[in-house]
Amino acid sequence: MGKDVRVQITSGMFTALIVNLVYPKAIGLTQGIMERQAGGDFWLATIFAILQGGLVLLLTVWVVNRLPNRSLAEQADVVLGKWIGKVIHLSLFVFFVGAFGASAISFVYHLMDYFLPDIPIYVFVLAILVVTVYALFHGLEVISRMAIVGVFSILMLNILLLIGSLKDFDVSQLLPVLQSGFTHTLWVSRQHDTDWAVPVAITGLILPYVSKPKEWRSSALVGAFFGGVTVLMWPMLEAGVLSPQETGQYIVACMQMARSAEIGHFIHRYEMIMVAFFGISLLVQLMLCLFGASLSAAKLIGLKDYRPAIVPVALLVGIAAYLLVLDHNWAIIWLADWWPWLAVPVGFGLPILVGLLSLIRYKKIKQLAASGSVAQNA
Amino acid sequence: MAPELQEMLDSKTRVKLAHNTLMMEQILGESADIVRRDLQCGGTDGVPGVLYFVDGLVDERQLEEGILRPLVGLNDASFLRNVEADDQTVIDRLLIHSSISAVDTYQKAVESLLSGDAVLWLDQYASAFVISVRGGDKRSIEEPQTESILRGPRDGFTEHIRTNTALIRRRIKDPSLRIESIIIGERTRTDVNIAYIADLVKPGLVKEVYKRLQRIEIDAVLESGYIEELIEDAPLSPFPTLLGTERPDRVAAGLLEGRLAVLVDNTPFVLLMPTYFWEFFHASDDYYMRYIAGSFFRLIRYLALFISLTLSSLYVLLVSFHQEMIPTQLALTIAAGRESVPFPVLVEVLVMETAFELMREAGIRMPKPVGQAASIVGSLVIGQAAVQAGIVSPIMVIIIAISGISSFVIPNFSASFSIRLMRIPLIIASGTLGLLGFLIVLFMMSVHLLSLRSFGEPYLAPSVPFRPNDQKDSLFRFPWWSMKTRPQMAQSADRQGNNQRPQKPSHQSAGAEDGTS
Amino acid sequence: MKWISARYVARIAPFILSVFLTGCFGQEDINNLAMVMAVGIDEGKRPGTVLVTAQIARPSDAVGQTGAPVGGTGKPIWTAAAEGRSIFEAMRNLDRFSSRRVYWGHNKIIVLSAAVARHGVNDAIDFFTRNHELRMRTWVMVTPKSASEIVASKTGLQVIPGDSVDRLFHYSAYTSEAPPVDMRTFQATFLNPTSQAVLPRVDIVQRGMPATHKEEFGTSPQVELSRAAYFIGNHMVGWMTIPETRGALWFLGHETSREMVLHCPDSSGKWTTLEMRTSHFVITPHLLNGKVSFVIHLRADFDLVEADCPSVSSNLVLTHALEMEARIKLREELLSAIHLSQRTGSDFLRLGERVEDRYPAEWRTLRDHWPQTLSRAEFLIHVKSSIRSPVLLAVPTRPGSVSKEVIK
Repeated sequence: MGKDVRVQITSGMFTALIVNLVYPKAIGLTQGIMERQAGGDFWLATIFAILQGGLVLLLTVWVVNRLPNRSLAEQADVVLGKWIGKVIHLSLFVFFVGAFGASAISFVYHLMDYFLPDIPIYVFVLAILVVTVYALFHGLEVISRMAIVGVFSILMLNILLLIGSLKDFDVSQLLPVLQSGFTHTLWVSRQHDTDWAVPVAITGLILPYVSKPKEWRSSALVGAFFGGVTVLMWPMLEAGVLSPQETGQYIVACMQMARSAEIGHFIHRYEMIMVAFFGISLLVQLMLCLFGASLSAAKLIGLKDYRPAIVPVALLVGIAAYLLVLDHNWAIIWLADWWPWLAVPVGFGLPILVGLLSLIRYKKIKQLAASGSVAQNA
Repeated sequence: MAPELQEMLDSKTRVKLAHNTLMMEQILGESADIVRRDLQCGGTDGVPGVLYFVDGLVDERQLEEGILRPLVGLNDASFLRNVEADDQTVIDRLLIHSSISAVDTYQKAVESLLSGDAVLWLDQYASAFVISVRGGDKRSIEEPQTESILRGPRDGFTEHIRTNTALIRRRIKDPSLRIESIIIGERTRTDVNIAYIADLVKPGLVKEVYKRLQRIEIDAVLESGYIEELIEDAPLSPFPTLLGTERPDRVAAGLLEGRLAVLVDNTPFVLLMPTYFWEFFHASDDYYMRYIAGSFFRLIRYLALFISLTLSSLYVLLVSFHQEMIPTQLALTIAAGRESVPFPVLVEVLVMETAFELMREAGIRMPKPVGQAASIVGSLVIGQAAVQAGIVSPIMVIIIAISGISSFVIPNFSASFSIRLMRIPLIIASGTLGLLGFLIVLFMMSVHLLSLRSFGEPYLAPSVPFRPNDQKDSLFRFPWWSMKTRPQMAQSADRQGNNQRPQKPSHQSAGAEDGTS
Repeated sequence: MKWISARYVARIAPFILSVFLTGCFGQEDINNLAMVMAVGIDEGKRPGTVLVTAQIARPSDAVGQTGAPVGGTGKPIWTAAAEGRSIFEAMRNLDRFSSRRVYWGHNKIIVLSAAVARHGVNDAIDFFTRNHELRMRTWVMVTPKSASEIVASKTGLQVIPGDSVDRLFHYSAYTSEAPPVDMRTFQATFLNPTSQAVLPRVDIVQRGMPATHKEEFGTSPQVELSRAAYFIGNHMVGWMTIPETRGALWFLGHETSREMVLHCPDSSGKWTTLEMRTSHFVITPHLLNGKVSFVIHLRADFDLVEADCPSVSSNLVLTHALEMEARIKLREELLSAIHLSQRTGSDFLRLGERVEDRYPAEWRTLRDHWPQTLSRAEFLIHVKSSIRSPVLLAVPTRPGSVSKEVIK
């Protein structure tokens, strides 16, 4: 970890990051929320959201690619001026605090409700903070490598679940489709869009650190595709095995799914193994949310390095997460009714906004791109 | 070192024999093993000289045949008194020996003397003549004690560094195999050699190793462990980032993959760098046995890694937090076995782990026959009596035994120790926070492992970061004919020609009767 | 300087972690748990209360001696019962006199008494699916007797009764007289807006025992799994007969390896037995002018496993006649289940879901008066059956010499 060594993320790691960022919250809490709003069409809403998310992800890559040395927020700084840039950093900061809270809700409710009901919530939150801060001090590169481990565990989790529940799968449960209407389903897909907002925002931040700008688009596409497929397996199975009504019945639908799986008659309740795998990818998500929050906070104050910001931001985020997690009912209301109004405008809005503005101020971008490359060579 | 001593060592030698010998004796003092032999080259009117050597470090036969006999038995020493005679005359005409040199400081003379060379002073010559007659007793080449294999060479490194370099050189007759020497240790002046193949090793690695070795300021280097701790990347990590091995074939294979070896005199353990984590789970006969068997043994060892790290903590986790995970029949069996055990599971595990470690340590430290007896008695007491007395549950004995045996499966003992050490935090965390604790400690351990580097190489490569080309020699060992390229770590990729896979002999072309194949 | 502080924090992180490792939250060793193997729910003595009966395993008696000698009681289970206004309260009341924490994670069966089931199962489903300790694969069943009686009864081969009922379900495919329903399926059908739930029925029967070798046959009454109960909404409505249950099993998707006993084709009044090997069941709804009809295709392949028909000389004759009979019998079973459903207005055959899947738009108008529509629905049933194999014998077993009675 030399000071002067520029962090380099390979395109494989970048793909892994996207998968890890979209997966964990999406399979658990989001599906239950969407079922309650769209009924049996929740798996269709997931597909819609995956398409939207993939599209915005590609847009982000395209926008950043125009000035490959600057993150999305820094481009906004340049294009919109310093003060609006500050506002954008602030909104990103709030967004990441919220994303951290949403992931923390997933983490705590999976582990606490199903495994460790006697451990107080503050222990969970402290544990998350200790791990994420520890990892964050090792730098972005270590987190990105951890994401590869995360993808491995996502694969394992999906395979384990498939083995344990495919025999109960009933295709007819997926039908009928679009009972709640096309527009309504599309509207409900905003819930899963919140999960895609996280990888989009992180991509906007870290893309300049990813090596080989030529491969950005293909790795983002692969990441979105792989993330989409791994996520989509869950609503399909939840609908086909549990039935939509039962999915909607639970706060954490995927755990209900996992604890219904059995391999033969001997191995039931191997959900603990699955949750161990799940936890790894969820912790990667949490680390990156904290990273995003620290980076935006550092930019907001005007620090060069994000590391000094980690501990104060972690404390703040920890308090926010604790307050969110504390009450199950409130957490679910917040996730279903409030969080989309923050996540989607910031996560999806920023790349669209910067993209549009950079089209308008095309000349300045070109100048900057030219001077930027010169500066880099020098 | 005292400044006046350093001053003496640095001073120039003079032509007067008496001065030189006086200086030598002042520097070296009275030592029983340093022998001074006065002699006359060429009879009574010959040149007086003094020969110094260290008893036990020199080869006495060589000393007698190669130095004393020609010197004392010289008939005419007049050419030595010739005005034109210089150091080269002595080297050319007087001493017929394969390795000889003239030095002009006491420092060099003394250092050579203490390394086992003979030092000859002649009157009227300002230089000391260093004659290499190094020898003395050394252990013969034996099979390594720590890394036993089924198939493969039986020779192992010894304490003698030249024997060790010879063992490597004998395996790689490549002109670009370089063995460079550096001396480390203020007082021990230990020979440290760096071996590498010049056109395979990545540029910069040799320089980096040199830089780290030259940084060392220490009075003594008694084993390569000193060097390891002084140059490794992560001095605080519980995991080793350098591979220590006793097997010359392992070192040779490492050199051929573009690694660099550091040999230290007086120890059979040679350091290989850079090292990946997974390499501690490879044994050299993975490469000598047929690839299917080799791959299978590797899988078994990775399984052993997993078991040895997590089995006891998983047991604690399941039995004291997540009982619903255990199949009912097994749950009842475990509960029945624990019925009379007075301790909580966590305490029971820690007690048993400690007992196991005690037995293991006793087995190493005791003289061999006694050590065996100790482990038999120990295992009987713990396995049978403790269960019957109701102090530990039978399942616990099984768990500890399996995880203990698994840790012995890991071929490299230093990695095996670190893994064993790491399971203690895992056990404690699992016993207090259940799944959460287990998850968090395991996660932090992974983050730590991922952050490690060994001489610039990521520690967990080729898994993370994923290197598709190096997968042929990580989880499985692919057949030799398919490993066309060297690992990414090496500078040059080509390892073998195309189509090395043996083909069924084609009868048409073998017959070659019509030649139209 | 920044680096110093960063590394410092990273290094002390494990120590921060260890601070809150000091408490043991919710840790309970397995030998301090009273593992419930089966639970029964009855109505309590006072109105509005429930009586929960739990069958708890004594590990050392259940598995035999495994470790140090422990005083065994010789009885592998201990049954405890407690009342409460809610199930949870009753369970907590169990804790009052259980020396170990009552632990539900290994519960295998939930028995509801018919009274509870008729009164409403909403509370039971809510409780058992809300609780994280309980497995979702727990079998649920209804008994006409009191549930506590079932839970406390002993069985033949297994040491733990809960375990033996669990196995009964795993092998229920061999009798196929009761649908295996676990908590998750029960919940899913219960939540489903159109379909109605079905639960298997357990009863206690006195097995016939000869006066000699009394203990060999088991002196105590045995648990028997046969037939099913059907629901409308929250409440159990009635019991199905064996043919109705067998017919319903086709619709519920429990393909089985059942046996079928039929008359010999030679009017001797003797019996032959078929064993079903493979089967295929397809049902397609049709909607025409607001009228619902269903077309059912059923194909079943049998093996001839036993034939006591001395006058039939050829397997071919036998199988040909039996195929016909089997077809009629399968058809009767299907019809009896359908008629029950139509008569009672309980869509336990999940026919509404099939209509909804095929005609989602029309379903919106149909669903409001579905029971009435169902009772008027028409069924077209095609049954095919074939006997593929007479197993080992090439000709049926017959006496070599014709006996005298036949000559007369």
